[in-house]
Amino acid sequence: MTAEMMTGNLAAAWGARLADVDYVPAFPITPQTEIVETLAKWCGSGSLNARFVTLDSEHSMMTAAGAAAATGARVFTATSSQGLLHAFEVLYTVAGWRVPLVLVNVSRALASPITLEPDHNDVLAARDCGFLQLHAETCQEVVDSILLAYRIAEDARVCLPVMVNLDGFVLSFTREPVTLPDPEVVKQFLPPFRPAHLGFTASAPRSLGTAVFGGATYSYFRHQLHLASLNGLRVYEEAAADFERLFGRRYDPVEQYRMDDAEDVLVMTNAFASKGKAAVDAARAQGRRVGLLRLRMIRPWPAETIQHALQGRRAVAVVDQNLSPGQGGILFQEIAACLYHEALRPRALCSFIGGLGGKNLSEGEFQAIFEQTADAGVRGTGIGPVLLFTESEHREVEQLQFLAHELKTGR
Amino acid sequence: MLSIRFHGRGGQGAKTASRIVGTAAFLEGYHAQDSPVYGAERRGAPVAAFTRIDHSPIHERGVIARPDLVVIADASLIRDPAARVADGVDERTVVFVNSSLSPDQVSVQAALPGRLTALDLTGIALREFGKRGAISALLGAVAGRLSGLHRDSIRDAVARELADLGLSSAVIERNQAVALDCFDQVPVVSVEPGGPRPAPPVQLHRPTYDAPTKGTASITVGPNSGLRSMSGWRTFRPVLRPDLCNGCWLCFANCPEGAITIKPDGKPAVYYPHCKGCLDCVEVCPTDAMTVEREPQGVQP
Repeated sequence: MTAEMMTGNLAAAWGARLADVDYVPAFPITPQTEIVETLAKWCGSGSLNARFVTLDSEHSMMTAAGAAAATGARVFTATSSQGLLHAFEVLYTVAGWRVPLVLVNVSRALASPITLEPDHNDVLAARDCGFLQLHAETCQEVVDSILLAYRIAEDARVCLPVMVNLDGFVLSFTREPVTLPDPEVVKQFLPPFRPAHLGFTASAPRSLGTAVFGGATYSYFRHQLHLASLNGLRVYEEAAADFERLFGRRYDPVEQYRMDDAEDVLVMTNAFASKGKAAVDAARAQGRRVGLLRLRMIRPWPAETIQHALQGRRAVAVVDQNLSPGQGGILFQEIAACLYHEALRPRALCSFIGGLGGKNLSEGEFQAIFEQTADAGVRGTGIGPVLLFTESEHREVEQLQFLAHELKTGR
Repeated sequence: MLSIRFHGRGGQGAKTASRIVGTAAFLEGYHAQDSPVYGAERRGAPVAAFTRIDHSPIHERGVIARPDLVVIADASLIRDPAARVADGVDERTVVFVNSSLSPDQVSVQAALPGRLTALDLTGIALREFGKRGAISALLGAVAGRLSGLHRDSIRDAVARELADLGLSSAVIERNQAVALDCFDQVPVVSVEPGGPRPAPPVQLHRPTYDAPTKGTASITVGPNSGLRSMSGWRTFRPVLRPDLCNGCWLCFANCPEGAITIKPDGKPAVYYPHCKGCLDCVEVCPTDAMTVEREPQGVQP
């Protein structure tokens, strides 16, 4: 297959098409709309043999998705930001049903104030709902991750829904070369969905997610969900190995970029990790021994791989493109927690908050991150959370505030 | 890496132009990446799009802060601070402006540090297509020429991208021909791809707490949108011929900005300070009473 120029959204639609899904419940939201528009077009033309249904909200959409998956259909759906939050109640519910559907989230910062550009407070808010999470850096990775997602989701050791994340604008509307997997080879990688524990008929009704009281029964099922998610680590490794064998592209749960001799390490996720890699290249050209660790799999949390990658480093800087108000970076907390018992844990952990609402991370800011992280490593004390913001950005915002309020008191 | 930044107004075709260049580069075997950025999608509002071209995989994303080539689809954007056309432009940046003025005149009036070139794409489109519309193919062709891409790949890329928009083959062929004329006509200022340049130093700001009156997103001006002047957004303006107007008020009902009022005699009047020039009123007018005039070109002081 040859490459073609494709947006992240079109790549996501191709992921669903190549997975030969049966059912697509949909509700549009910027910057996800191109995904469902494309699938609607393909379902209409017959190039995708699936039932496309528009629902009245994301809450209904996720309910329909879970219910259809419970009948044994292969289900795809997609949302973003406010839409994901509107579906929130149902995310937990369908994860408890143990239905293996795939949901694409196109990251967009949350209101308010309202915006359209990306950060990860939306997808990370769904961190604890039971969905597995894969976060993509490139358009190629979007289509490939959706295929991997179905493979893991449908494995009897997991049987959980999977969320695949891509950044709005920076990936969703960005075209770059994508090589589509050969549909015939996809059939080898992803055999038809024949779930043993799902599917029902009118003559054999069943209830899912039934009421349980007294705590012990509830705990049992929640423990099962947790163990299923943890199984995802092993199942993912197997799937990724198969994927590499069939398609030649390797996706580890975490990607290590120029890490071999790196004394300081930048930890990032999603599309801005590309900028992080460029910054690593620039810093290395100046003689800094730095590398980048990109987290691809957020749930289950690949703790051992992360520990192994970060042990013995001088300093680690986590760049969170999210903010938990009153706390700081969400992923920083998780990185810190999984390094606590490491004898060779880094001398300093640094927390940076950057790229909120799609704010650019400039070369200069990366340079500042590397400098502050190196200093922290030498001192042996961590820093942060550092809220990345430049003086010139501050001046621009002050100017906007002046305009927003001046007219009232003025003429 | 060659970094191209396009500035246009919603509906002019800056995004498609960025894709034409991306596709042409891709067809020539380069690594390419293109992306647009806009707020709430709104015709006439400033939009930007970015194309990156390189021999090796591209490790950059999002906005282009330091462009090698800037393509300005509408001269009115130069004096619109929200469009930020001057960001990162220095002496080595090539700047193309769609303007009826000569490159020298544009250069004097625009006061941008870059090396300027210009061509009246809007005039060419009016002459060749006989109507106003998107100039994406023309912009793409000019940007492709200035980037050193080949004529053939631009021709193919125009066909691919316009077909993707669902245009008929007759329209596509006409666009190809006019675009290649622009490719040949544009005064060439050669773009030199930026090698590694030291990053400009950045001064970090440490956020501090502000009182909620300042620290919450709010606008305290009352009739915000009505007072806002948007006359600078217009490339064309609607002009009413009262003798042809039947008083149906369709223009009044369809104006997305509320810039058309009804006078005591029942005839509409365009409030020009708030008219953004989308020309929806022209499209809905059943008697062709609402006509179109091109706004004077050039950079007004």
